[in-house]
Amino acid sequence: MPLDRFHKILVLPAVLVFAPLVIGPLILLFQESLRPYEGGSIGGTLNAYLTLSNYTEFWHPTYAKYFLDTFRVSLIVTLLALVLGYLLAHYVVRVAKPRIAKLVLAGLLGVLFISLIVRIYAITLTFGPIGPLRDISWLVGIDPRTRRHTELMVVFGLLHTVLPLVTLTMIGTIQMVNPRLEEAAMSLGAPGWRAFFSVTLPLSIPGIVSAGIIGYAFSISNLVVPLLMGRGFVTFISNLIYFRFSEVANFPSGAALSVIMLLIALGIFFAGTRIVSAIWPPAERSGR
Amino acid sequence: MKRIEDYIGTAIYTTVLLFAGLFLVMPMIVAVVLSFDARSFLGAFPPTEFSLRWYREFLSDDYLHRGLYTSLIVSTIATLVSTVLGTFAAIAIDRGRFKGRATLEAMFLSPLIIPTVVTGFAVLIFTASLGIMDGLTRLILGHILITFPYILRTVLAVLSGVPKRYTEAALSLGAKPWLATIEVTLPLARSGIIAGAIFAFVMSFDEVAVSLFLSDPFTYTLPVALLTQMRASLNLTIAAISVIFLVVSVLLILALDKLAGVETLTGRGVYGR
Amino acid sequence: MDANRLLEIQDASKSFGSTKVLDEVSFSVAQGEIIALLGPSGCGKTTTLRAIAGFEPLDYGRVVIAGQDMTLRRPYERPIGLVFQDYALFPHMTVGQNVGFGMRHRGIPRREIPERTASVLARVQLDGLAHRKPSELSGGQQQRVALARAMATEPEVMLLDEPLSNLDASLRLQLRIELRQVLTAAGSTAIIVTHDQEEAMGLADRIVLMKAGRIVQIDAPADLYARPRSRFAAEFIGEATWFEGILRPKSSGMALETGAGLIPIEGRSDLSPGAAFGFCIRPERISVLLAEDAPLFEGADTRLAGEVTYVERLGGDVRIWVRMVDGASAQVSAKNTSVILPEPGAKVWLAFRAADGVLLPPVDTKERVR
Repeated sequence: MPLDRFHKILVLPAVLVFAPLVIGPLILLFQESLRPYEGGSIGGTLNAYLTLSNYTEFWHPTYAKYFLDTFRVSLIVTLLALVLGYLLAHYVVRVAKPRIAKLVLAGLLGVLFISLIVRIYAITLTFGPIGPLRDISWLVGIDPRTRRHTELMVVFGLLHTVLPLVTLTMIGTIQMVNPRLEEAAMSLGAPGWRAFFSVTLPLSIPGIVSAGIIGYAFSISNLVVPLLMGRGFVTFISNLIYFRFSEVANFPSGAALSVIMLLIALGIFFAGTRIVSAIWPPAERSGR
Repeated sequence: MKRIEDYIGTAIYTTVLLFAGLFLVMPMIVAVVLSFDARSFLGAFPPTEFSLRWYREFLSDDYLHRGLYTSLIVSTIATLVSTVLGTFAAIAIDRGRFKGRATLEAMFLSPLIIPTVVTGFAVLIFTASLGIMDGLTRLILGHILITFPYILRTVLAVLSGVPKRYTEAALSLGAKPWLATIEVTLPLARSGIIAGAIFAFVMSFDEVAVSLFLSDPFTYTLPVALLTQMRASLNLTIAAISVIFLVVSVLLILALDKLAGVETLTGRGVYGR
Repeated sequence: MDANRLLEIQDASKSFGSTKVLDEVSFSVAQGEIIALLGPSGCGKTTTLRAIAGFEPLDYGRVVIAGQDMTLRRPYERPIGLVFQDYALFPHMTVGQNVGFGMRHRGIPRREIPERTASVLARVQLDGLAHRKPSELSGGQQQRVALARAMATEPEVMLLDEPLSNLDASLRLQLRIELRQVLTAAGSTAIIVTHDQEEAMGLADRIVLMKAGRIVQIDAPADLYARPRSRFAAEFIGEATWFEGILRPKSSGMALETGAGLIPIEGRSDLSPGAAFGFCIRPERISVLLAEDAPLFEGADTRLAGEVTYVERLGGDVRIWVRMVDGASAQVSAKNTSVILPEPGAKVWLAFRAADGVLLPPVDTKERVR
């Protein structure tokens, strides 16, 4: 087909530029992770024998804490983001008048457009020692002077990153659910909230889970929030990678950790989407 | 009785909604207010006296200026490259029928699911081994990786709204494929492409992790500069910058809305809203 | 409670911005009656239905069901059963669960539900399908589930929004017949919204014809067809041939002096000469004469000259378009295909009995009908 050749040529420049940029670094990353490291030098020793020691190093109980912290805190953040985000998304799609919906959407985008650094800074100001909302930690039973407070700050920071993204994703989900279904439920005698719980919510679950997977993957990979707000109490895997780059030039170890994190992130994405498709076949999802 | 259930449900719904909204918005409000604080130390909120001193501080801060300058250059170049390459790639993927389309698309979109820390670190190792020591080049390469998937995703979405019929009509009237693309497909997708470019630019400008790995003491982006300053001390110059970010963000959203409508970035469901 | 007024709408009005979507809509429905809300798109029929259901708040007016004012009540507080255009069956529930949903929420005891589900499914000929999911059913079956679900709670009023428009044309006729049978067998009081006039004629005991938010006429289908009260009604229901003219006195009575010729008007002493009127007659009441002196059929008293412009042979039906002397166009339909048909360009004479037609105001008034 004549058009096929045209399209192949069209995509060629992108492939020539992009493919090396994606594949090259990943291959080299993997390669570096297999190199041994000698203290004091920058990067791994070249032309040395390959080793898996950089990976096995992390099979140590000391590191278990960092991994667990990363997964645990991210889980809390993701769950919070799903609840808040779903209601926000539902509001935008179903309840808000078009002008207000647009405003809220613009607001969500606006938050996304402001650099995370700036947002972290603003959160630190707001919930920190001089901020107007510094007493909010008492609401959840946490003493501001304890380590748990730092964790709470990290949760807030991560929530601010993840919430807009998750909300935008779930807006798409709710749009796929037939609004007439809730009306049908109400015409059959179910009051508003029951109609919501019997109909709209069950049908949104696949989308909620997908959004949760995305949110969780993002949260786990985050560097800046634990870096700026963790104060050393809360350390994520990304922090470990960064320290291996900035403080000690132990690139092989950092590379190994990066590969591990990459596999975790990819695993979450692919396993997650497979599971969602398996449990909820697409045919049953919409309201037709 | 059911009516009461409804009222309670609505009350809970509204409360949680307000909480979510406030949570997202409150920090920005605090930052805006504090940016006008006249005090030279971080005092309790709210400030009693107001001044523009922190904005003046920002204007005279060379360190931050360098960062801003670098950010603008890096993000602009990266976005331009990605827009050109990405738009053509999107057209090829959306309308072409060659083998390996899906794989290419997956590859192009891969940076979205690769943690940014990993991207940053990997590109660093890559450029170092290739002997590319120039900070600017490294940053641009890293940011091309970042912006490309956003452009591709947006343009693919826009193209699905441009019926192939128009291109087919052009071809049936005798236009060569590349002319048909330039004269028909591109203009029809134009506003979406620009919107995607704006979105990608912002994502690149705001990016921290990748820039962190690829910057050096002479070449660094604004977020990296801010990060360094924040780790050193928390002062209110950053609050002034927050406000600037906010204003620019609002302006960009207005521009985006004018171009393609804010709703297009989330799509419309099958049922209209 | 008056059984003749099981459902009453009084002066329902609603505006969206500056557009009046409903303009003092008023009518009542008797128990066991099937009403069709008929009209072109945008006439307000769906809005009226949704206002009765409680999904569309009214700016002004009342909805009364079984003697109780429902105007301020939420949908789940009204004794209604609603069938949606796209059925809105819950895709994650089985047919049985769909049908049982209303019963559960309207307080019917749990142990009774399976039996009642089975019985209502039997009524729509869907016995034994309770365990299937809606996605496994055909369009026609889904429609019946939607009907069963709405009927299961035995509501006072059934509300159906274009229940047949989602079906293939071939299914529509058959399901229309079944729909009416199911509704009348159950003695249901129903309001059906449709834009298809044939559907309204077939399903309804009375038709409420609407246009631009107002009710134009309320009548039984046959009466609406034979005696439309406006040009809009005449042309919306069935086909109509339309003449316009001034009423003049004649030696024996009056005649309508139109550009195409004279139409004798008898027995209308209530009308004064000199006024302008429209005259509407159905195409099947007109016969076509091929010669000026051809004999009129028995009872015919009008003969108007014209020229054939187009002939359409539609299988068992023939349509002939004739341009009259003054340029107006008349439509004639004939079932008798054994007659020699004229060709376009031929001069013909239209013959009919004036009493088969209807005198109407020349321009539709803005009058509201209740």
